[in-house]
Amino acid sequence: MAESSPPAVELSGVSLSYGGRRDRVLALGPVDARIEAGEFVVIVGPSGCGKSTLLRLVAGFAPPSEGTVHVDGAPVAGPGPDRGVVFQQPRLFPWLSVRRNVEFGLRTTGVPRAERRARSAGLLELVGLGDSAARRPYELSGGMQQRAAIARALAPDPAILLMDEPFAALDALTRERLQEEIRRIWQATGKTVLFVTHSVDEAVFLGTRILVLSRRPGRIVLDRSAPPRSAGPRTRPSSLALREEVAAAVRDAAA
Amino acid sequence: MSRAFVLRAGGVLALLALWWAASAAGIWPEVFVPKPESVWSSLVETWTDGYAGHPLWEHLGVSLRRILLGSLYGVLGGVVAGLLIGLVPTVRALLGPLVTFVRTLPPLAYFSLLVIWFGIDETPKVVLLFVAALPPVAVATADAVRGVHEDYVHAARSLGATRRQIPFLIVLPSALPELMTGIRVAVGVAYTTVVAAETVNGVPGIGGMIRDAQRYNQSDVVVLGLLVIGASGLLIDALLQLAERRLAPWRGRA
Repeated sequence: MAESSPPAVELSGVSLSYGGRRDRVLALGPVDARIEAGEFVVIVGPSGCGKSTLLRLVAGFAPPSEGTVHVDGAPVAGPGPDRGVVFQQPRLFPWLSVRRNVEFGLRTTGVPRAERRARSAGLLELVGLGDSAARRPYELSGGMQQRAAIARALAPDPAILLMDEPFAALDALTRERLQEEIRRIWQATGKTVLFVTHSVDEAVFLGTRILVLSRRPGRIVLDRSAPPRSAGPRTRPSSLALREEVAAAVRDAAA
Repeated sequence: MSRAFVLRAGGVLALLALWWAASAAGIWPEVFVPKPESVWSSLVETWTDGYAGHPLWEHLGVSLRRILLGSLYGVLGGVVAGLLIGLVPTVRALLGPLVTFVRTLPPLAYFSLLVIWFGIDETPKVVLLFVAALPPVAVATADAVRGVHEDYVHAARSLGATRRQIPFLIVLPSALPELMTGIRVAVGVAYTTVVAAETVNGVPGIGGMIRDAQRYNQSDVVVLGLLVIGASGLLIDALLQLAERRLAPWRGRA
């Protein structure tokens, strides 16, 4: 069964370059990677290495210059509700209430009203915003906005959640709390998560697998599975070795 | 709030006092600077007995109807034109210069053409206001459309919205604050244009009333007409600002 199902995401010879014929700049790749369903993959690398670009290729916001991106066995032809996206900025629609933001992806996919209500209520409960459904996004704090954005991305029940430095703009306390929550949500929903960050600590804390990208043009220089973890303190001896290895790889990549 | 109100009321009172003092000093003949009290009595007179056969409220009502109709069509046309200009490069290349061209034309200049085309009744007047009101809405909408953050569109597409749904689900609502500003400018333009529109067969109408009064050197009626246009314009702009706060409360906050 596991062998027969296609990987959640498969990148083959993926690269992206900017500019014209003369001043062509290779921004990313070539990258090959195979991500299985249910993995929590964190992509970490120095700023400007193309890690966000890689995520946007999987999201279908732009096509790769070379190579192919397959999601669940099918080539990516554009964005779609099978891949939920959470951006660095929450990008909630300010003209809609929090509840209507979460229901956006249910309306477009034709979910009837009663079921929309039930699902948005459940999702807002899941991210701890049960009381804020009727409020407008700009009335919420940054952390609450990002929770709402996570609920909105989860609403169409995507198989894959793509997160582009979602906690980078938050204060340290809120960030830690949301890191715990996204682990919990991942465990509760069993989704495949692709998570981009520039923080080694965040990568080691969250990921079941960590990919380190080199600086531009970004290539995978390290691919490590994290030891299985249970609830406990954030820094455990087993993860300290991994943290050192990842940190060294990022340091080398940035040099 | 109360401080702002006191300042505003004080400003109006100071202007009135200045006006009264200037006319009472008798520096200029009454035809140049009518006395406040004669403007007041012409207000009472035109309200009850009317001017040129129509009471003041009818002049005002007819002008407001032209302004609102012209603005309404101008806003509808401007939103459609702005959406197309903002979203479709071909349309931008075709219509962009045309909108700028029309915007720079003085309304009186093309009104002559409209009279030849449509006669001297309501049609050329409303069409004139429509032509004058459309460009500011079109320009504001086009700018707002091009300013929509691409991640709003990305988010919507990732949530299952199709390409065709994007203009209505994302682009228009996110352009609403700028659009409301465009509408306010458009109504303002329609206001300043209505006197031009009423230069031909403009009675009843505030502009027509002013033109008629000018012919007979009735400066008190001219000033009355100006005050009525200005006051009603202030009121309508206040209503539009209220609507803007209701419809786009996130302006400057998201």
